[in-house]
Amino acid sequence: MGIGSTQPLLSIRNLTVRFGTFTALDNLSFNLDSGKTTAVVGESGSGKSVTALSVMGLVTLGTRAEIDAGEILFERKDGSTIDLLQCTEREMRSIRGNEISMIFQEPLTSLNPVYTTGDQVMESIQLHQGLTRRSAKDKALEMFEMVRIPRAEKVLTDYPHQLSGGMRQRVMIAMALSCDPKLLIADEPTTALDVTIQAQMLGLMKELQDQTGASVMLITHDMGVVAEVADDIVVMRRSKVVETGNVYDIFEKPEANYTRALLASIPRLGSMTGKSEPELFDLVLEANER
Amino acid sequence: MKAIAVKIFESFLLILAVIVFNFVLIYLAPGDVVDALSGGAFGDGREEINQLIREQMGLDQPFHVQLITYIGNVLTGDFGFSPIGNRPVIEMIAPRIFPTLLLALCALAFAVIIGVTIGSIAARRPTSFFSGGLTVFALIGFAMPVFWTGILLVLVFGVWLDWLPVSGMNNLRLSSSAGFVERALDTARHLVLPTISLGVIFLASYARLSRASMLEVLQSDYIRTARAKGLSEGPVMIKHALRNAVIPIITVLGMEFGVLLSGAILVETVFNWPGLGRLAFEAVLTRDTNVLLAILTMVSATVILANLVTDIAYRLVDPRIRIGDV
Ligand SMILES: Nc1ncnc2c1ncn2[C@@H]1O[C@H](COP(=O)(O)OP(=O)(O)OP(=O)(O)O)[C@@H](O)[C@H]1O
Ligand SMILES: [Mg+2]
Repeated sequence: MGIGSTQPLLSIRNLTVRFGTFTALDNLSFNLDSGKTTAVVGESGSGKSVTALSVMGLVTLGTRAEIDAGEILFERKDGSTIDLLQCTEREMRSIRGNEISMIFQEPLTSLNPVYTTGDQVMESIQLHQGLTRRSAKDKALEMFEMVRIPRAEKVLTDYPHQLSGGMRQRVMIAMALSCDPKLLIADEPTTALDVTIQAQMLGLMKELQDQTGASVMLITHDMGVVAEVADDIVVMRRSKVVETGNVYDIFEKPEANYTRALLASIPRLGSMTGKSEPELFDLVLEANER
Repeated sequence: MKAIAVKIFESFLLILAVIVFNFVLIYLAPGDVVDALSGGAFGDGREEINQLIREQMGLDQPFHVQLITYIGNVLTGDFGFSPIGNRPVIEMIAPRIFPTLLLALCALAFAVIIGVTIGSIAARRPTSFFSGGLTVFALIGFAMPVFWTGILLVLVFGVWLDWLPVSGMNNLRLSSSAGFVERALDTARHLVLPTISLGVIFLASYARLSRASMLEVLQSDYIRTARAKGLSEGPVMIKHALRNAVIPIITVLGMEFGVLLSGAILVETVFNWPGLGRLAFEAVLTRDTNVLLAILTMVSATVILANLVTDIAYRLVDPRIRIGDV
């Protein structure tokens, strides 16, 4: 998608995922360029989360999902390229949390309530970096400071319920970045937070990306967010990719009717607050398509 | 910590209330130990004899005097005298406490460990045959009367297969010079069948409970996070899921401790286990009110204590409760 780009960091090719008879991803293809933020946008149920979980190799765990076809090529830290769908579970585990990490939409429930935040971040660090508990703790502290958690030392020993949603999401980000991943998948990382925190969090993520050079796959249905932070954009609708390209180009000259409809309804940052689901604009679309 | 101190104080009041309640209950029940003691006496002297015994035991005093004297005595550790055993009650009860607690705790451990393991395995494959069978198994386990299971076990393992002893706590022919280890092993062998027949009532329901609880936990976001970190299924299940899944089990455990003790009475009777349950059974037959009262008090105190322990365990496992209070 980037002009004259070399090999992409992640290349999803003809991916088809089904839940029983329902096709959640239908012959999906797109690339993610190294060092960039790629926004994946689309209405609720269009398959954004399923895409993310497929890349993580988590879509079939504990669900009845089946991956029917396709490949997901990923360029590893050591420079080799592998197909994530052909990986053994063991290989996949060494990639998860280490080379590709993910943060989720629900900061309130994404941390285990019975362990301290420090323990949970250190667990990742120890798992992938083979550090002692001592140095894992130093590293965790360093990460907490990097995501600007105030009184980081104290927060290390706090349990999730003692922290606000924004703080918990910072902990999640710290955990996700602790092993210096090449790709960070953020599935609507700000939807559940309030407006001011949303803006802070996006700013933080952008900054961390510049610092670490990680690529970010930012899943959202908020075009306002896209305009603010994304380099590239993938528009999804009903299990398919509708359009991909550079943000400027797409905002300038959207090709698909659906993208146009999405842009027409750009919500201001924060207009989602208090709503659990984004609004659908099927009516507009049906009219346009006719 | 303050919350725990309050709990301890509450527990103490509760035990006191239970003593009063039990005392009233037994006072109101028709007949007393005197009838049992003089049961054989006929003719002229009978009333006088009864009167004499009553005076001796303080049973002629007004109710409130009896009650206050009794509570005062209990608080100083004196549970009175047993005319049937012809010994202080405490001497009859003391040697019975350990066997009952041993049986109850073994049965509990058996039920929890096996139940939670089965439940967790079933939760991994919720639609499997094994998982479905668990419901049926739970129902059967719950519906089987404990004495029936007990007798069944006696028949199969004691009589037909002749693998395990079915009566008492130690082999009577065990020489008195036997060392501690030998004695403990012998007791362990005697424990197997009573433990299973008492534990099995709870086993099935714990298995079902932990299956449900585990299923719910496995759906949760933090399990997805744990997997997204790259943890393998072992740590995900044991470290992240199980600790959360046992929280509801701890609650039920505390509440069911009383049921466990009442089950122990039946099991002790079937297996001739020298515990409090069998003693209580005998005390009812002989109307040995002091013994009965002491056992009731002891059992209530144990149940209340179990609830206290549950509460503390709860705090240890779940930081939301521990740190929530001031
Ligand atoms: N575990 C599952 N079992 C069955 N169907 C599922 C499962 N997970 C997702 N789906 C289906 O796949 C489709 C795509 O879901 P997905 O979660 O990817 O949507 P999304 O684009 O992330 O939407 P949202 O913006 O609401 O998060 C939905 O129609 C959903 O019903
Ligand atoms: Mg989603």
